[in-house]
Amino acid sequence: MTHPWSKRSGSRLGGLGAVGALLLATVAQAALPSTAVGSTAPDEGDPRLEGALLLDATQVKAGGDFRVGVRLRLDPEWHVYWKNPGDSGLATDVAWDAPGITVGDLRWPFPSTFRTPDGFITTHGYHDEVLLFAPAHVSDKATGTLTVSTAVDALACKVHCIPAQLVLSRTVPVGPETVLDAEFAPRFDAAQAQVPVPAGAQGAPRVALALDGTSLTAGKPFTGTLTVTTADGKPFAGNVEDDFFVPGRIAGVDSVTLKRKGPGTFALEGQASSVVPKSEPRLTGALRLGTKATGFTAVEVDTALAPVVAAAGAPVAGADPLKVPSVKDALGKVKPAVAAAPVAAEAPMGLGLALLFAFLGGALLNLMPCVFPVLAIKAYGFTRMVAEEKGKVAPHAAAYAGGILATMLLLAGAVLAVRAGGNSVGWGFQFQEPLFVAGVSAVVVAFALNLFGVYTLGTDGTALAGKVDQSHGLLRSAGEGVLAVVLATPCSAPLLGTAVGFAFAAGAATVVAVFVALGLGLALPFCLLVLVPGLAKRLPKPGMWMERGKQFLGFALLGTTVWLVWVMGGLAGVDGMARLLAFLIAVGLGTWLYGQSQGLEGGRRGVTVALAVLVLVGAGAVALRFEEAQASLETRGAVASSHGGSQPWDEAAVTAALAAGQPVFVDFTADWCLTCKFNERTVLSRDDVRQAFLKHNVAFFVADWTRRDARITTKLAEHGRAGVPMYLVLSPGAPDKPEVLNELLTADSVIQAVQRAAECGSPLKGGSVVCARP
Amino acid sequence: MKQVFKALALTAAFVSAPVFAADTAEVGKPAPAFTLKDEAGKAHSLSEYKGKVVVLEWTNPECPFVKRHYEAKTMQNTQKGFDAKKVVWLTVDSSSTHDAKSAAEWKKKEGLSQPVLIDTDGKVGKSYAAKTTPHMYVIDAQGVVRYAGAIDNDPRGKEATKVNYVQTAVDALLNGKQVPTATSEPYGCSVKYKS
Repeated sequence: MTHPWSKRSGSRLGGLGAVGALLLATVAQAALPSTAVGSTAPDEGDPRLEGALLLDATQVKAGGDFRVGVRLRLDPEWHVYWKNPGDSGLATDVAWDAPGITVGDLRWPFPSTFRTPDGFITTHGYHDEVLLFAPAHVSDKATGTLTVSTAVDALACKVHCIPAQLVLSRTVPVGPETVLDAEFAPRFDAAQAQVPVPAGAQGAPRVALALDGTSLTAGKPFTGTLTVTTADGKPFAGNVEDDFFVPGRIAGVDSVTLKRKGPGTFALEGQASSVVPKSEPRLTGALRLGTKATGFTAVEVDTALAPVVAAAGAPVAGADPLKVPSVKDALGKVKPAVAAAPVAAEAPMGLGLALLFAFLGGALLNLMPCVFPVLAIKAYGFTRMVAEEKGKVAPHAAAYAGGILATMLLLAGAVLAVRAGGNSVGWGFQFQEPLFVAGVSAVVVAFALNLFGVYTLGTDGTALAGKVDQSHGLLRSAGEGVLAVVLATPCSAPLLGTAVGFAFAAGAATVVAVFVALGLGLALPFCLLVLVPGLAKRLPKPGMWMERGKQFLGFALLGTTVWLVWVMGGLAGVDGMARLLAFLIAVGLGTWLYGQSQGLEGGRRGVTVALAVLVLVGAGAVALRFEEAQASLETRGAVASSHGGSQPWDEAAVTAALAAGQPVFVDFTADWCLTCKFNERTVLSRDDVRQAFLKHNVAFFVADWTRRDARITTKLAEHGRAGVPMYLVLSPGAPDKPEVLNELLTADSVIQAVQRAAECGSPLKGGSVVCARP
Repeated sequence: MKQVFKALALTAAFVSAPVFAADTAEVGKPAPAFTLKDEAGKAHSLSEYKGKVVVLEWTNPECPFVKRHYEAKTMQNTQKGFDAKKVVWLTVDSSSTHDAKSAAEWKKKEGLSQPVLIDTDGKVGKSYAAKTTPHMYVIDAQGVVRYAGAIDNDPRGKEATKVNYVQTAVDALLNGKQVPTATSEPYGCSVKYKS
């Protein structure tokens, strides 16, 4: 069933050429019922546009496919518009109402390009005649006759424009076979041949874009090279005609053109909009390869461009283009404008230092609130082993470390893969994905239930009954290593930010090396216990307290889920939280069933396990559908209000505040970042800190990275960071030298930094102050 | 260094110099300067409205989109909603075939009060990259373009709930806030420039 007037994207005909138009014009209008034809766009009494509702079949069968279309014929010099009309005009809109028929997306043949004589205004559309059509599928239960109706809303223009609306309708009988319309089916085939095929589809040419640079700068031109290869992998050798490329509407990009450079290569030139878009722009549009002599292949292009960043120094607040030669001369050393590309070359550290930082950072992670519960569990298990099975300690330590390292390598791989896909990522980026958060929550709950004794892990329950080591197989040790890493990612410990930031800006080998160092650091405290013989003996003796302790730690883990549910709230709203909780209950039920099965044998056991899996999979399929919460602004607003007087981060607003003489404090944070939340609650909301902000009239900005935000990722990279938290203090006297505060804030450090920024001098009061940061 | 320069330049501009005009209109940058005569022969310069928010509306009374918005009173009501002491509304007609006489007739017929600036040679229209009618620009009190695009989010005139981008932009500027939507795709007829 389609909904009445279901919107199927617009339509376009075009490009059929005068010959085709003439041929088509010979089609007898009389063949169509009177309800299926109409004329509109009356211009001094003379209609400029004629429309006809065409079907490619005279009879359709239930469950079969056919095509529905609208043929538009225009008076000479008149045109209607493509789905991207260009600088002016309005996309042609075709809606369908066809009970018993499902109508697919509208197919747009490759359009013509129209320009005003001075070239100032460019539009895309169709003249003479075009057939805009869509695939249609007949319901299995269809009988009798079906009615197809269409509503066309177009704008017909020559010099002036006339809105054109048509409502057309006709019926088609349902029969045992689909009978093609000998007259119209070929028209549909001809129009189909003009419709661009997606690049890379089977048999279609492939398109690859190499951009000159890793990001676009708002308001600035950009360039790149588009390479077209044929389906068999050879460069496209043919030529192209004028206007072979029509761009789609690209948010964040004002204009984009392609010029042929050589066989299969095209120079791309574009201009980024002056306003930074919300998401990374994609190059969309249609290419028509070939010439009239060789025949055409139209290809649909849809490939990632690059994130748009604000111009260096981005002074949108009335500042940027002010050309004041005298000041410029006085300063004498104005750097050329450079794109704010992620810093790699300027990263102020070598590989050795980065590895050391990563190692120490990894070790410190053990003390962060995210990982601590895991470490505690590990230490508990270890105590037990030391007392009872000395020989097995080393293998368990190795398994734990192995779990950590394997996960770190996986993470490094993921980072490289995502980066190869042209996206920038940061430490903890996976917590921007609701499904990942749900997965981690499930693992944490399952682990907690394991500690409560609901089921056992890594060993066969019946065989091991009575064995001391019941709950502590090697597999479990490895699993704990994995969990430690997964939970560690949202906690960016001191030192870690710098090290990972360095890695993300460097080559693949460095990424892997830094992640391995990080893993070794994370595994260090536990391995120390093994390597230093005396140390283990100092641990308390095992006893009944251990069983209680184990169960208690289960609650500590459950505490982690409170935080995860809260993170989900930021990502997917209240609905998302409810869905997650419902799913977690199913996880509880599933693991409980599994625990029950461990006491059973044979077929009954199989049935119970199957039931457990069914519960999990079923609940997951029903519950795990997260929709992005409302506009990200809402979350930002919520974060902002939590420490009063703050505003969402925006490069332009920062520049404006600095220009107004205000010191600026930027809090790069995310809901899932515990270190950030800790700092916000214990330091940034303190009275003395707030008063210092008030006293120095500090503009407080919150950059919320809870969800993907390319601008923030780029800004982090500029300071050699890959994740939050990051705290920047900018002085109006030296706006290009922000002070980066330590990841773990103290009230003193914040107050002093703010004071330094304020004292550095406002140019409004002090004239041409240039303040070098100590 | 660059930022220092810019901050200094900005300061210098605020303290001593008038805002410098740019060559083309771009959001976040100073609006191109112009002086145009209205339908009654009175000259209007952008610079004389410094200190006020200026709304520029590109029009062509013959364009169906313009007609629709004047019939639905979109433009009139938007204009009426603003405090005339703080906001100036200038309508510009860059159609090559229009002149003071045709503009005066249109004003009379529609009962309009705002000046209709005549830009028959299209120079000002092109300096703003005005491409459609209507095409809207909002310029802040310092002469910086803060909004460019359509009047609303309803090209087909069918939406039940509309967002009037000009209204939103002017309100934000008057309240010292950032303009929530700084650009949108303008829709309508092309501007009928002389060519």
